[in-house]
Amino acid sequence: MTVKKKEEDVQELIIRYRPIITFRVRKALGAQNPEADDLVSEIISQVLEKIQTGEFRRESSLGTFIYTITSRRIVDYIREKTKAIKYAPEAQPYPDPQETLESQENSQKIREALSRLKPKYRQAIYLYYYQELSREEVARTLGVSPRKVSELVNYALKLIRKEIKL
Amino acid sequence: MRKCKFEDMIDGYLLNRLSQGDRELFEEHYFNCSSCFEKLQERDLIIRTIKNHPEALTQESEVRVPFFSRLKTELAAMFTPRQFVLAGVTAVLLLVVIFALVPRQQIPAPSFSLTDEETVRGSSITLISPVIDMGQVPASFEWKKLGENIEYQVSIYNHELLWKATTKENRITLPEEVRAKMVPGEKYSWQVKAFSADGTLIAVSSKVQFKIADR
Repeated sequence: MTVKKKEEDVQELIIRYRPIITFRVRKALGAQNPEADDLVSEIISQVLEKIQTGEFRRESSLGTFIYTITSRRIVDYIREKTKAIKYAPEAQPYPDPQETLESQENSQKIREALSRLKPKYRQAIYLYYYQELSREEVARTLGVSPRKVSELVNYALKLIRKEIKL
Repeated sequence: MRKCKFEDMIDGYLLNRLSQGDRELFEEHYFNCSSCFEKLQERDLIIRTIKNHPEALTQESEVRVPFFSRLKTELAAMFTPRQFVLAGVTAVLLLVVIFALVPRQQIPAPSFSLTDEETVRGSSITLISPVIDMGQVPASFEWKKLGENIEYQVSIYNHELLWKATTKENRITLPEEVRAKMVPGEKYSWQVKAFSADGTLIAVSSKVQFKIADR
């Protein structure tokens, strides 16, 4: 493998896995945590280093390898923080002020799509995602079967997805 | 779209409902499955938007509930199905009684017949002359015109009917023989009745009294 090929691989790896690592880290640390981005960079460096030193032996997929490194680093981070402040920072994925411009645009489109939904879909979505009721609880509240709740939620999602391109 | 079996875990993962084992399984999966990661990101944005803007779902929702479904819900809350059926049967029976049985027993409408003093339209005739005491026997009688094509019946009384005549004018001249019967010092009264072309009584004047002064 040439040096140039290797560099291309590295670029590809970063482009593909940075968003995934970022998602995982933010989910664990909370979206507002200012250290999240540093942690992501650190994880990527570790991954690249381990690949170069031959620690990645292709026993598992690259995805699983990176997942393992990411999870370990998150656990370490939380352990460090726990030592310092005695308890882990609570994961607070919502609301997220660090939305990118693109996701802000999409968020606006989603809002419009939500307000255009028929009442039965809006009710189902509201109870299921906002109030975080279980499928069965939503079914009881609306007086329909749990299967119907899935149908309502899935159909509403389908309508919303039409509005956004990710 | 090919559906990955892990897709069903997306909601559970984002809403923190998965067991630790499932969560780790799904996390490892989305590190390997770009399709699931794409859907995960998409769903995450949707849920985040709902969390940040619940008003998009709740606003106007009261208004938007269609009238009939609201009515249906309210009716359903009011009656059990059994009561519903009973109410329906009762309503049908009531309608049968009202529309089928009642008209047959109806008393026929009273027929009206007019006396001489009654008018059909409620309009009346205003008499113009004579309405006060006269110096001599009046030569003619005059009243206000009611309209075209109306026949007036004029009657003059002392103690009983003295003279009766009809005209299409709104005045009438007394014939000599009638004037000759009227004497000074006596009280007389007169009245006009109006008839339409088909002979229907349409108006009656009041009876007006006048006196012919003594010489």
